[in-house]
Amino acid sequence: MDCRSARELLAPYFDGELDRMASRELEAHLDGCADCRTALIELDGLRRTLRADLPRYAAPQALRARIRAEASKRLPMRIRQPRQRWLALAASWALAFAAGAVLVPPWSPHGGGAGEQAARDLFAGHWRALAAASPVDVVSTDRHMVKPWFAGKVAQAPLVQDFADRGFDLVGARIDYVGNARVPVLVYRHGRHLIDVFVLPEEAAAVPASVERQGYWLDRVLLGGLPAAVVSDMDASERARFVQMLATAK
Amino acid sequence: MSSARAAVSELALRHLDAAYNLGRWLLGNEQDAADAVHDAFVRASRSAETYAGGNARAWWLAIVRNCCLARLQTRSGEQRHVALDQIAADQGQDAADALLAHDDDGAVEDRLEQAQRRALLVRHLQALPPEFREALILREIEELSYREIADVLQAPIGTVMSRLARGRALLQKSLGSPRPNEVKHGL
Repeated sequence: MDCRSARELLAPYFDGELDRMASRELEAHLDGCADCRTALIELDGLRRTLRADLPRYAAPQALRARIRAEASKRLPMRIRQPRQRWLALAASWALAFAAGAVLVPPWSPHGGGAGEQAARDLFAGHWRALAAASPVDVVSTDRHMVKPWFAGKVAQAPLVQDFADRGFDLVGARIDYVGNARVPVLVYRHGRHLIDVFVLPEEAAAVPASVERQGYWLDRVLLGGLPAAVVSDMDASERARFVQMLATAK
Repeated sequence: MSSARAAVSELALRHLDAAYNLGRWLLGNEQDAADAVHDAFVRASRSAETYAGGNARAWWLAIVRNCCLARLQTRSGEQRHVALDQIAADQGQDAADALLAHDDDGAVEDRLEQAQRRALLVRHLQALPPEFREALILREIEELSYREIADVLQAPIGTVMSRLARGRALLQKSLGSPRPNEVKHGL
């Protein structure tokens, strides 16, 4: 590595944003380059100065009280825009789902419901991952690496469990999108099959219980109490086994 | 959907200092910062139902930032510069006053030096263009990840990285090179 590329990686390295392999290469360069070491020390000096001497303004008590008062006030009804109609619909499905109702909207390949849109996103996410150089952003050596990785990336880290002893290896995890929502995805491998487990955002909880698309299957499941969807190309018995494992995971 | 609104209230109150600090650095004074955060809270409550997962803190700070930018826009450019200069000067004076007020031993000079150093730092940071200033505040003070900063700024990660790099370089330049003996032990 030359100084030019090293300087570009220095800040991400210093900010803890560089992956392990690139970090090692950079460290090898730093071992032999005093100039780049100095640049790193300067980054650290600046951070120390800022953290020591810069005021972090705390919210005044009056503002806090104002927000509390506002929070307890009733909000005027908002004018409904077309976009919100399906959200409201999805929310009612989500409620029905949460209440354990059997009332699952029928799956129609040509319909335009929120559930179908979400299913499309999930299949697309899975296929994108299969086509990508790596289907995961973080590689798992064990589940204790995967769970903390989600912290700060999504609001709620999902339940992470490895089923390697039963033939389903936890490969790692990534963040994907369903609609506009960033969702955590756990990635498993079973034989030659790659399996994505998407934790569903509220408005996507209406995805069909089970649906096929070009040889791939989507199965809805509860993962630690949260609605989730499994996307894979496993056969029916394997899918049923895996769904069962997820549903009973602790 | 009142549960969604309750969640937004909880979120806003939990990250109220972060929101106010960002507003304070973007707008330069207490009143505007408090008003912008209040605006942001009203806006966040209204869109509580459309919040679709993802990093909640970044979502909240993005709304705060948008409200700050809206406020900046309504101020005339000239007024703003006068206001910021005045504020920077006030901050220096305030810091000095606060530190000197209850000083009764012989450490006056140390405290004065510290106050001057702080005032200078505030002035240099306030002098940076806002896009570099906000990136530095979010990274160095609020300790957000690149991904979170990108979500707050609604910009690609590459933009976050280049703004951070530029902001750091400008600030380092205006502060002068750090003395190596002060920072060597840091690594």
